[in-house]
Amino acid sequence: MANLSVSICGVQLKNPVIAASGTFGFGREFNGLYDIGTIGGVSTKGLTLEPRLGNPVPRIAESRGVILNAVGLQNPGVEHFIENDLDWLKATGTCVIANVAGKTLDDYKGICERLDGRVDMIELNISCPNVKSGGMAFGIKPETVEEVTRVAKSGAKNTPLIVKLSPNVESIVSNAKAAERGGADCISLINTLTGMAIDIERRKPIIANNTGGVSGAGVKPIAVRMVYEASQAVKIPVIGMGGITCAEDAIEFLMAGATAVQVGTANFTDPYAMPKIIKGLNDWCDKHGVANVTELTGTLQLNQK
Amino acid sequence: MKDYIATIVKNEQIAENIHAVTFALDEDVKVRCGQFGDIAVGGTHLLRRPIAICKAEGREITFCYQIKGEGTQKLKTMGAGTRLNVLMPLGNGFYVEKNEKKVALVGGGVGVFPLVSVLREYGASKEVSAYIGYRNKNAVCGVEEFEKATKFVGVTDDGSYGERMNAVQAFAKDLEAGNRPDVVLACGPTPMLRALKALVEKEGLNCYVSLEERMGCGIGACLVCVCDLTNGKKARVCKDGPVFKADEVTL
Ligand SMILES: Cc1cc2nc3c(=O)[nH]c(=O)nc-3n(C[C@H](O)[C@H](O)[C@H](O)COP(=O)(O)OP(=O)(O)OC[C@H]3O[C@@H](n4cnc5c(N)ncnc54)[C@H](O)[C@@H]3O)c2cc1C
Ligand SMILES: Cc1cc2nc3c(=O)[nH]c(=O)nc-3n(C[C@H](O)[C@H](O)[C@H](O)COP(=O)(O)O)c2cc1C
Ligand code: FES
Repeated sequence: MANLSVSICGVQLKNPVIAASGTFGFGREFNGLYDIGTIGGVSTKGLTLEPRLGNPVPRIAESRGVILNAVGLQNPGVEHFIENDLDWLKATGTCVIANVAGKTLDDYKGICERLDGRVDMIELNISCPNVKSGGMAFGIKPETVEEVTRVAKSGAKNTPLIVKLSPNVESIVSNAKAAERGGADCISLINTLTGMAIDIERRKPIIANNTGGVSGAGVKPIAVRMVYEASQAVKIPVIGMGGITCAEDAIEFLMAGATAVQVGTANFTDPYAMPKIIKGLNDWCDKHGVANVTELTGTLQLNQK
Repeated sequence: MKDYIATIVKNEQIAENIHAVTFALDEDVKVRCGQFGDIAVGGTHLLRRPIAICKAEGREITFCYQIKGEGTQKLKTMGAGTRLNVLMPLGNGFYVEKNEKKVALVGGGVGVFPLVSVLREYGASKEVSAYIGYRNKNAVCGVEEFEKATKFVGVTDDGSYGERMNAVQAFAKDLEAGNRPDVVLACGPTPMLRALKALVEKEGLNCYVSLEERMGCGIGACLVCVCDLTNGKKARVCKDGPVFKADEVTL
């Protein structure tokens, strides 16, 4: 048995496998299939200060090897989460990461203040449109990445803050550094890539929102490259995700520089994906004489060109 | 609910563009009529396909599916012995109360298949009338099942089988003739359900409809598959449905 436990910003995780935000709700449904206390952590559905109804349907489409989604942050609001789900989720024994979103800097500060000290970590979804800058996402430009991080951190004084980077940007390295400068304790990446899928009979996009976020197996090489580049650029820990389907995929991310990984779309393809990945990690480590999974992080050796 | 490893025993065409696949499981599964399974077709298809459970007999489960896109196209080619993952049973299903003696089934398109499961569950204990609409005579299927109902009215859009009308019109006609059910259970395309909803509201009938929506997780976690409720809230088709009280959903 390899030691799979990892520590991120002082928070101890049983193993480095975390459920990705938006694919796992608050964990209740998957707990009907297996004990979610056995997974490293759960990043909750993106929470906002007020409840949100989200986008019209259809909200999802499939393209070979990937999916597209535009749920539009439907969620019951942070108060409802604190009142109805938080204690239950904590009691499962998994690490609770509250994924949060907002339309203004005040929203981000407010929601972080509300969750500060109540959850193990806060993950900032900065791929949301910024109302003040004409709807451009906070996560696009390094300046706004740094600003939103700083403001959020002023709300999350006692809770490690993870900034989740968008891949739809000019430079992932600049944005990773900007998050670090803004006071992020950790970064996670990648959020979804913006895409479109068309129903050619109707000559219309399949998703009601027209565009959707692309995720799943097919995005993995892009995600691995970005995790590598970002982890080279910052000193804070990195959580990697994007297309992880099996233990071998997770190991790629660890070697590229991640301390832990998140699994999203794979939960749809196989609801037992995460327990299988955890078991696979252990087996791989045992077979390769790796005593602690932390030994894998950042061990990638580039080819000499 | 469980992710079963299911082995295909039979997979054959039953009508134009419609196939029936029967799986053998290694244990019994208890299914309520109107529930569905989420079938993993594998390969580059990351999403499962939600299909109503048409028949469940001990360890054998049958789904009837229309060939629509790549996933069902792929499923069609799979022969006996192929093993697939099927997450089931999912959703709430149809439920008929003790005091509801007369049941009307109104179905069209792929919506006829969950109604077969209702008939199998309640056919012996209730007086069931089935009003089933098909596109044309080549699409007609499940008749051997529906004929076991107290009354079966099969109709087509073009009149090539039964009368030329849709399922809601067939039901309305019988209603006018005095055959009034205690409860109406329906499944089919949204325009059909919309017309039925208007009719049952006018007639003051108790009605349940089974909805279709594109899904992610299939178990209630991702909020991909929502529908609008008349109270302004959203509900998950996969978990809170797929069966809803007609006067509680906006169609
Ligand atoms: C609860 C429920 C029960 C259903 N029961 C039946 C049944 O008994 N028989 C039957 O033939 N069909 C049924 N359907 C519809 C069936 O799910 C789709 O026809 C099927 O998923 C199409 O897959 P595809 O790969 O051929 O199409 P593609 O277009 O390649 O599918 C792409 C993606 O869109 C989804 N999708 C496409 N059309 C639909 C749709 N109408 N509803 C939901 N998802 C869709 C697919 O699942 C897949 O994820 C049901 C749907 C739901 C929600
Ligand atoms: C249906 C769905 C909903 C999502 N919702 C959120 C969300 O609310 N907040 C967020 O930060 N990311 C959200 N994501 C992005 C995932 O957390 C993850 O970053 C992305 O899907 C890449 O990982 P994957 O390829 O393993 O799915 C969502 C993804 C999916 C598929
Ligand atoms: S498909 Fe995920 S909630 Fe219904």
